[in-house]
Amino acid sequence: MNRVTLRKTLISCALLGAVLLLAIVSMSLLGSERLPARASLCALASLGSSACGLTQDQFDILFQIRLPRILLAAAVGGSLATAGAGYQALLRNPLAEPYLLGISNGAAVGTMISLVFFGAIEWTRPLLAFSGAFAATFAVYRLARGRAGATPERLILAGVIVTTFLSSVIVFVTTLMDATRIRSFTFWLLGDLSGSSKALLPVAITITILGALTLTLHARSLNLLMLGERDAFDLGVEVGRVRMVVFLVASLLVGSSVAASGSVGYVGLVVPHLARLSLGSDNRISIPAAALGGALFVIVADTVARTIIAPRELPVGAITALIGAPLFIYLLKRV
Amino acid sequence: MCFLCLFVATCSAVSRRALLILLLLAISFGCKSGAGQRVSLPARVTRVVSLAPNLTEIVFAVGAGDKLVGRTSYCDYPPEAKAVAEIGDTLHPSLERIIALKPQVVLISTSSQLEVFTQQLQNQNIAVFVTDPHDLEGVFRSIQEVGEMLGQKDQADQLVTKLRERTTAVEQAVKGKQPVRVFYQVSAEPLYTAGHDAFVTDLMRRAGAASVTANVPGAWPKYSNESALAARPEAIILPTGGSMGSVNSDVTEALRQSPAALHGRVYKINDDYLTRPGPRAIDGLEAMARALHPDAFK
Repeated sequence: MNRVTLRKTLISCALLGAVLLLAIVSMSLLGSERLPARASLCALASLGSSACGLTQDQFDILFQIRLPRILLAAAVGGSLATAGAGYQALLRNPLAEPYLLGISNGAAVGTMISLVFFGAIEWTRPLLAFSGAFAATFAVYRLARGRAGATPERLILAGVIVTTFLSSVIVFVTTLMDATRIRSFTFWLLGDLSGSSKALLPVAITITILGALTLTLHARSLNLLMLGERDAFDLGVEVGRVRMVVFLVASLLVGSSVAASGSVGYVGLVVPHLARLSLGSDNRISIPAAALGGALFVIVADTVARTIIAPRELPVGAITALIGAPLFIYLLKRV
Repeated sequence: MCFLCLFVATCSAVSRRALLILLLLAISFGCKSGAGQRVSLPARVTRVVSLAPNLTEIVFAVGAGDKLVGRTSYCDYPPEAKAVAEIGDTLHPSLERIIALKPQVVLISTSSQLEVFTQQLQNQNIAVFVTDPHDLEGVFRSIQEVGEMLGQKDQADQLVTKLRERTTAVEQAVKGKQPVRVFYQVSAEPLYTAGHDAFVTDLMRRAGAASVTANVPGAWPKYSNESALAARPEAIILPTGGSMGSVNSDVTEALRQSPAALHGRVYKINDDYLTRPGPRAIDGLEAMARALHPDAFK
């Protein structure tokens, strides 16, 4: 990486990182219950080692409920945005997005299989979600490659087909499922961060960070791939290997986020676009920026979801779609 | 019911646009109040189909079980109901099968079952009877209305009188007792509770409980974990063990350190009593009152 790019990457990441940290702290002061701001800040600054005058209940709300949820929102947003940026670069298609390509649905089917057959065994959830995401990625990719190569239109068409096919699988299984279990499952399909187990939080955060780092390290190859696979090959990119890395990493990212929170839409579409519009299309900058920006986006969206009609709640997926769709239309018009 | 309907409806249409349409549908047709409405009933009703377990229970309880020609797969009580032909489940009833059974009236437990479906039935000259009780009085009213419609007015009146007596007995027993602050957990993940419009909220009040979510708008709201924790309920009611099986038998994580959980005041009560606005709701009332105020029933 040359010096100018490296500096630009570091500066933009440092800035976004600072904003992200600020968001984590400030959003943890907001919620359906009012917490004393000064004492909460003091407790957060001590990383939970001192209660700073918070009551036990207030302390639990802050550290057992709010903060884990915010961190999970960050992991989910970071994952989806990074995966979106990766797909968009690899497939040379600005519309490639986990949700639109049916990859989220693949992960959802995997999670559903885990819930139906291995309900009690929690670790099967991310594993099967990952397998589902990977299978869906591969299916879309193979379907998109016609004799004329993978055109953007073919890719989106393949995504639509895989999405609708998997949607009908989901509908079919939920119809057979017994009514008492459908309830929690359907909410989860819309993307919801309230019910996720804490066991998945460290897994999700680790996968997000490692995934974003791996894709950033492959960003130079992805830049060359944006010229076309043949040109990239001529310039020394191991096209097959890079493609496999992106597919695997992106499937892992989507799988872990869907297993933790269901299908949250539009994050993988809107955030990488914003990153490219503001920072340019160099993947070495836009991929890490998308990761941080995605975390920020979902944290804010989830704060809206859990406070706007408090003490009732909305699924975060409804908010990301409400913010995401108009924003995307605006972006489309600008480009 | 409204909420369940919305739920499963959204599940069968995974796309977001469909969700929005369904939300609008639910708002415009669904969660409105009002006890019952009738559409051009024939003079003598001899064939009815029930699309909800509570209505099946009401039909049998007023002694009109012989007139029931169709029921949903959820209608499992009384045991005789199982001999009646099945027409699908509450949310996916088979229109063809209903029409083939030639009912004069179809009983529906909430108006949120899609308008289109009602229209189709009416096109076949089948009347639709809708109930959507939000309190115990509403339950009594629907028992009397169903009884009257099926020519069993006297038996329905007797049943309601008896149920009223049992209700009064419970209310008398808990009178003067300090209401127990209760959290009613519909499901743990995600956390759902009973809000202002749920009939079980009225049932809890009569059982000597003060539901901490009694003033939350709606019938079955998704509830904030931190608000549940901050409410510090003295008791938790888990509707479970009936049709739910073992589902919902654990307290949600946010309430594991609540006074209720620490003092062992978590009560599992048959969900069929608490979720079906029918005659057995009084069993639920009694079970809740006995659990919350054991000393009042010595």
